[in-house]
Amino acid sequence: MSVVDRFGLVNENSYLVVYFPATGTAIPFRVLARVNKGFEVFNYGPLPITTTTTLSSYDGGTVTPPASGVMPARSYTPDLAFPAISGTPLVNARDTSDIWYLDENDRDRLFHVKMFVYPPIIRTDIRIPINVTQLRFQKERVVIGVSTVLGFTRGALEFIRLPYLRYGLRFGNDTNLNLYTFVSFIYAEYVVEVPRDADVIADILLKRVPSYWFTMPISYQDPGISDALRRVYGFTSTWGFKLYRHDQREQALKEYSSVLASLKS
Amino acid sequence: MVRWLFTVHGTASPTASGQSGVFTLTTPDVYGSFSFIRIPSGFKAKIWAKRIGGTAAFMAIVNFAPDATVPNPNWVAIDREYLASAGTLELEKRRPIVVYGKSGTEGIQFAYSNTGGSGTIFIDADIELTDEEE
Repeated sequence: MSVVDRFGLVNENSYLVVYFPATGTAIPFRVLARVNKGFEVFNYGPLPITTTTTLSSYDGGTVTPPASGVMPARSYTPDLAFPAISGTPLVNARDTSDIWYLDENDRDRLFHVKMFVYPPIIRTDIRIPINVTQLRFQKERVVIGVSTVLGFTRGALEFIRLPYLRYGLRFGNDTNLNLYTFVSFIYAEYVVEVPRDADVIADILLKRVPSYWFTMPISYQDPGISDALRRVYGFTSTWGFKLYRHDQREQALKEYSSVLASLKS
Repeated sequence: MVRWLFTVHGTASPTASGQSGVFTLTTPDVYGSFSFIRIPSGFKAKIWAKRIGGTAAFMAIVNFAPDATVPNPNWVAIDREYLASAGTLELEKRRPIVVYGKSGTEGIQFAYSNTGGSGTIFIDADIELTDEEE
């Protein structure tokens, strides 16, 4: 039985591992349920930019879109979130300015989102927390992303939305064309739990148990992330569980038990 | 890897034989009009098919410039098709015309040279922007 389905979303009773490169730690989640199983596709609509959005130009200065949802030529956006579409039930979302936002009491939930942007030539990156550039080159020497020549994808981006953290999505258009845009999502709303057994956690992180690993695009230890992981899950001193070698299992079990003791129920 | 296939449309109304110009292009994916397409660095522009037609004979020309961003780009013809008389000519390429974006300043445009007096002429072209190897 595969850990993921045809969309690349984690199946029920499988494990999702959220790995943080900045700290070399990870949080394993057991997926108890998928709330929207069978209904994963969400055609959102144009990018949430309007004629009042100020974008930066690749050629210097700023640009405003000629119409809502249009990515102006040679420009990139500030950090964006996807607001609720007016006139739809999404206006009842927890935060109408960011439909993927989960608050600190939503520790049993995660969103796994695959975002597709049309035209696919549009650049995209993500900043976690919002406005904190995480993509770096040569340690922290060079900041990269949609505003530069590297550090972005085109047309598609996958992310795991952790509760209480604000994410910023940026989009860039390095062509000379004012592009009409369209965004669709394939997503899963998972009901999750962090395993409470150190042996299980060790088996997952030592890759003895199949799981889906997602590497968070986080290379900088921002205090906002520490705060969120403490508030939501109770990780007081680490961002999850440190990775160990196979020959360090005993040491890992000891530390994992200590970390588990601090977790919220 | 990214593939974006789109069709551009251009019309012109030359008034005399010997008149030449550049097609102003539109496509449903783009707001407004444009006169050339800049090719991002690492991408290729593939012109898979062209449809040219009109009420006057004309030469349809694909131009390339290594730097389309300067005030007077050095446009060079890389492909020509001749519409000998009023009508339509459909040209589908089993192998497309491929233009590489190396520095990211390269561009292509569609131009015409009229040989048949006044009339309305048009060009449609199916273009793919891709960073795939083939």
